[in-house]
Amino acid sequence: MQNAETKARQVTGKPLSHSSFIIRQSAFVFIALLALAVRLPQLGERPMHTDESINAYLAGELLAGEKYHYDPKDRHGPALMELTLPIVRVEGAKEFSDLTERRLRLVPVLVGSATVLLFGAAIEIFGFIPSLVAALLFAFAPLPVYYHRYFIHETMFVAATFGLILSGWRALQKKSAMIAAFSGGCAALMLACKETAALHFVAIGLAIAISWRLRRAGKVPTFKIWLAGGLGFLITAILLFTWAGQNWPEPADWFRAISNFTARAGGEGHEKPVWYYLVLLAGGWSGVAILSLAALGCVRATRNPAAAAKSVIAFYALLILVIYSAIPYKTPWLALNFWLPISLLAGFAIEWSWLTTVKPAIRALIIIFCAGLGLLITHDTWQRVFLHWAEKKNPYAYAHTSEDLLRLPVRLKELARQNKTPNPRIAVVAADPWPLPWYLRKFSTVGFWQPDQETGDADFFITTTEVSGKLAERLKDFRPEFFEIRPNVFMQLWSPPKMDIRHE
Amino acid sequence: MNKSFLNISVIAGLLIAITTFADDPVPLKTELPKPLFVGTPVPIENVPNLETPRKGKRPDFLVPAGTINLAKGKKVTASDSEPVIGTLDLITDGDKGGDEGSWVELGPGRQWVQIDLERNANIYAVMVWHYHAQARVYFDVVVQVSNDPKFEKGVTTIFDDTNGSGKDRAYLETYQGKLMDAKGVQGRYIRLFSNGNTTSKLNHYIEVEVFGKSAA
Repeated sequence: MQNAETKARQVTGKPLSHSSFIIRQSAFVFIALLALAVRLPQLGERPMHTDESINAYLAGELLAGEKYHYDPKDRHGPALMELTLPIVRVEGAKEFSDLTERRLRLVPVLVGSATVLLFGAAIEIFGFIPSLVAALLFAFAPLPVYYHRYFIHETMFVAATFGLILSGWRALQKKSAMIAAFSGGCAALMLACKETAALHFVAIGLAIAISWRLRRAGKVPTFKIWLAGGLGFLITAILLFTWAGQNWPEPADWFRAISNFTARAGGEGHEKPVWYYLVLLAGGWSGVAILSLAALGCVRATRNPAAAAKSVIAFYALLILVIYSAIPYKTPWLALNFWLPISLLAGFAIEWSWLTTVKPAIRALIIIFCAGLGLLITHDTWQRVFLHWAEKKNPYAYAHTSEDLLRLPVRLKELARQNKTPNPRIAVVAADPWPLPWYLRKFSTVGFWQPDQETGDADFFITTTEVSGKLAERLKDFRPEFFEIRPNVFMQLWSPPKMDIRHE
Repeated sequence: MNKSFLNISVIAGLLIAITTFADDPVPLKTELPKPLFVGTPVPIENVPNLETPRKGKRPDFLVPAGTINLAKGKKVTASDSEPVIGTLDLITDGDKGGDEGSWVELGPGRQWVQIDLERNANIYAVMVWHYHAQARVYFDVVVQVSNDPKFEKGVTTIFDDTNGSGKDRAYLETYQGKLMDAKGVQGRYIRLFSNGNTTSKLNHYIEVEVFGKSAA
């Protein structure tokens, strides 16, 4: 066993020739390009999830010239918007109605594919085989492919987390203030993506402390490193949260953010059992195999006193799994946070298995296992990402917008044409109208009212199944049509009473 | 002469210009309310045997002439005699609005309400509104008719979507209420069960209508 670890160190520690370096990095560029190719097809065809549509709406407001203000409730940090605006502008979008699913989702797709490149930078720390295996798992496994095609903050958050781990480790090893400042910037980027960054800072800090404690050794950062890291964090955070100094958030918002997210952690209807993430990760044909590999990699990494960086990853994985599992609020996209350490741990396991033996038969078995795992992953990715992307049976499609809702804007246009109202006035009356603001973005006269508010005049009304009081009286002669907005949640489109309704 | 003509021309020109501009229609700028932001929606799932909601109004349900709502204003009793919110008389007061003040909230778990029609009747349909201010499904809904106020004998079940054993499908609450075909069964008492809903363990009733005719 020790022999295998020594060999591993020899493999990872050996200085590379320039040509070997180029060849290895080219492999990661190739995998990143393949990752991009896998993420691009049918990018605009899955209906917009509510969370995606809210982010899209915010992007639309910023495109329209509204200034960014940090809102501690439900909007997370500004980083996603700061990256989205230049990309959609390059794509030609000038206002909300110019935005499309494809244009917006291209942002996480590019970030997710670029994250694969970071594994090339991880060779020096974790070795070539683990980095290669992790890059492949990150590029093609169903969970990252699915959520890299989601216009939410997680993809960018994981990229920044990886940036922090890589640059932080390097700053400690090389005692470089410049790299420390960069890692501070990555930490600020994490916070500007999601406030949950604080949980990861705790997990990474504890993982380093535990690793050092077990190894009874470690490179304690010098004051210079701390200072550079702190300054990097502060400057980047100020730049990001103030939109380059344009809008300063209210200091009180930070406290509101803490209370909001503490309340949310309690569940707010998203409570799930502690084993939720493990069950989610173990799902599909490939889940158990990948988790088993990660568990093996975790055991090897924590037991090997020579592999400090690997043991940090192992403890980080365990800690964030424990932290996220202990919090009642759970959604499947948060599992993307585990995929980074899981893919690295699986890489450690493959490397260990490969180096433990030199017998050709056993190595052949490892190759066959990896090929088989590749086939299982291909099946799962095909099923979950491309075949059943919004269906209830897909555990990643959580409270997902139903494909039935795609009929609504088409039907509205059809009815408006029949009603000879080219610019129909649409009143949406619903406590939670999302993602309708996205699907009605091409109509110029749309208002959104809460159920207890008096609505304005309108040609068409859209309501939830709740219709009561004055509105019920007003709509008593209107004709309703049902549209499924999410599984078991419906909206009604109410057409004028005198209209001759035809289905074209 | 020329000067005053010039002045008149200038004034006339200005007036025409002012009138022209004043009459030019301009688009009415209205500020429509924006959507309020919400968090990630909570999925409604794990409801076995849920019926697909009807796309449109309910088709006509035919009953014998002279059929009326026999439950209006009748006495209601319940397994939970002290409702959390509201009073039991709201169930038969004729108000089917979803607003607060229109519904009664019973405690968690399996609960029942019972309506005394005061005399034996032929019942053709029962309509139930549990709650419709939010999309939700009530679990294990059972509706029974009997002449025995304790429902120990002569019980006829007209609707049962109990998970696993019920003959009917669970349904999503809407403002249209749920119509249950009673097929003319005779009885004086109607008992309705439920066992919490997709949002909470509590039970609610806005209105119950019992359509029938007094038995001869």
